[in-house]
Amino acid sequence: MNPQLRVLRALTLTLPLLVLAAGILRHYQPPDPAIAFAAGEIVIGVDGSFPPFAYDDGGELRGLDIDLGLALAREIGLPARFVSISFNGLYDALISGKVDLLISALRVEPARRDDARYTQAYYDNGLVLVSARGAPLDADALSGTRIAYEYASSADSQIRAWERDGARIEKLPYELPAYSLDALRFGQADGALTDATTFRLYKREQSEWQPEIRYVTHDPYAIALRRDRADAWKLVESAVSALKESGELAKIVAAWL
Amino acid sequence: MLRQTEEAEFKERRARAGAMAALVLIALLVLVARRPPPTLLPAERQTVETEKPQVCVHTLLENEVEEESILWSLELARELGASEIVQFFPWAYVEREPGRYSWTLADRIVRHAEMQGLGVIARLGLVPDWARDGKTETLNYLTEESFPAFAAYAAAFAERYAGSVDHLIIWNEPNLNFEWGYQPADPARYGRLLRASYGPIKRANPGAVVMAGALAPTLEARGGGAGLNELEFLQDLYDLGAAAFFDALAIHSYGFRQPPEAEPAPDRLNFRRSELLREIMAANGDGHKPATITESGWNDHPRWTQAVRPSQRSAYTVRAFEFAEKNWPWLENLCIWALRYPADVYSYPDNFTLVSADFVEKPIYFALQDYARGRARRQSPWLPPPRAGR
Repeated sequence: MNPQLRVLRALTLTLPLLVLAAGILRHYQPPDPAIAFAAGEIVIGVDGSFPPFAYDDGGELRGLDIDLGLALAREIGLPARFVSISFNGLYDALISGKVDLLISALRVEPARRDDARYTQAYYDNGLVLVSARGAPLDADALSGTRIAYEYASSADSQIRAWERDGARIEKLPYELPAYSLDALRFGQADGALTDATTFRLYKREQSEWQPEIRYVTHDPYAIALRRDRADAWKLVESAVSALKESGELAKIVAAWL
Repeated sequence: MLRQTEEAEFKERRARAGAMAALVLIALLVLVARRPPPTLLPAERQTVETEKPQVCVHTLLENEVEEESILWSLELARELGASEIVQFFPWAYVEREPGRYSWTLADRIVRHAEMQGLGVIARLGLVPDWARDGKTETLNYLTEESFPAFAAYAAAFAERYAGSVDHLIIWNEPNLNFEWGYQPADPARYGRLLRASYGPIKRANPGAVVMAGALAPTLEARGGGAGLNELEFLQDLYDLGAAAFFDALAIHSYGFRQPPEAEPAPDRLNFRRSELLREIMAANGDGHKPATITESGWNDHPRWTQAVRPSQRSAYTVRAFEFAEKNWPWLENLCIWALRYPADVYSYPDNFTLVSADFVEKPIYFALQDYARGRARRQSPWLPPPRAGR
């Protein structure tokens, strides 16, 4: 065969492979933070009125979401800047590009997925069924049990759903969610149904108390980015994974809850 | 030969009959498909039973998918004893293409409200894609060039619902940068929006009441990053001559952590801050115009920094109505934010509602119902706090 033809044939065969390999490499290579966050900083939107996730402490934002934002920024290698926004304006700030991402005790909302892309969850604020040590409760077998809960809360809705499914629960409604845990601790209820954050905060105050807990619903809190910021999302998602693997995320959660 | 001809004719007749039957079937299918869906409107117009007609609730029906949810929400408003609702009618939903209005959802809401005997105060805003400048994605961004298009929508709304919806609020909280499309709050521009809208609305419905404001309660100083406090914003509107372009003021007045009777002050956010706005109206010769509090209330989330306890929320809300009835003759309605959200947001805003997303009435709903309908206050639905050793 003509040597020129041979070279041409080799090139024809290898060039597409090289292009494919370059594409694959690019896909798996971490994006450049300086390009993904072109301003040289990560601007984080947060509602600073919702402790322990974010609150104003004498003019300084503090809380779990703030510590998480700082840790993420360190992991990515850029400084973080927090912008305090009221809850109603969070997604609008994200979509209009006022902030790069939202870390604000935000539940993953499927209806937002046209505009926003969420990372993996960093916290689960689902409902937990709490019971006395050695007496775990099964959410599918609650008939005949006394369950304490906050009236008109998501726990109330869950109990009504169980009742619709046939469970005959002795309901103990209280004004505040912490009262439902008091009722359990004082032996006046067999179980208490409350969100995970209420339970964790209560447990911090009652460190000697060692109840059983079981998640009965899941309410994942995640970081939201604009749907079209794929590179930024990859960086933040990788950073969340790294914080989970290193145990730093667990430490941040434990520091506040 | 003859038989063959007969057979051919028979086949032709059969083919024609088949084609005719197919056409009839298609026509029937088209008719069935075009028939309007069954409506859930009650057979008779209902009446609100109330002793306190100033009771009003803000509804959020614009994002309801099911007609049942609109019906049930408005039934709950009527049974509460509310005589009025405030409801958002987003421009972006109605006029998706310039000049082509789709009133289906708005018609449904207005007709259901009428059949429940409820008055409607309409809030107008939210910019369609085509009316924005393409530089920003926020739906609150309205360029000056699009003011006439907004005014045309407002006029079309006023004309369509004349006699049914005569109170129209122009925009929402324009003193917040976020609600003004992330532009600095600008009383002059908002004044020009009022001016652009006022004439067309009045020509479309001479009985319309154009409401300005719906200003957010905030302590933001001039040049602040989030907006401008509503007291200075309103005074600026008067200084700029905007008084001629509104007939009433819409006020947002939340209690935050203070009881309803707490004294107002320019550096304090509380329920009676409304009085400061009223003083500005009077000082500018507008004391004859009425006002409506179109958003108010307290929040009872256990962890929000501006919340109170559920029992406080109920008590404060009822006392707010009592205070307003006794002291504010200029107030037409006091509207609570909000009756119900179409879906939970799973955060503290859920604790502003009177009814949960799954239609469970909260204690505050019953407290307000007892007040509005002149009933003795019923007992709280919860148990007393547990005590150790009982």
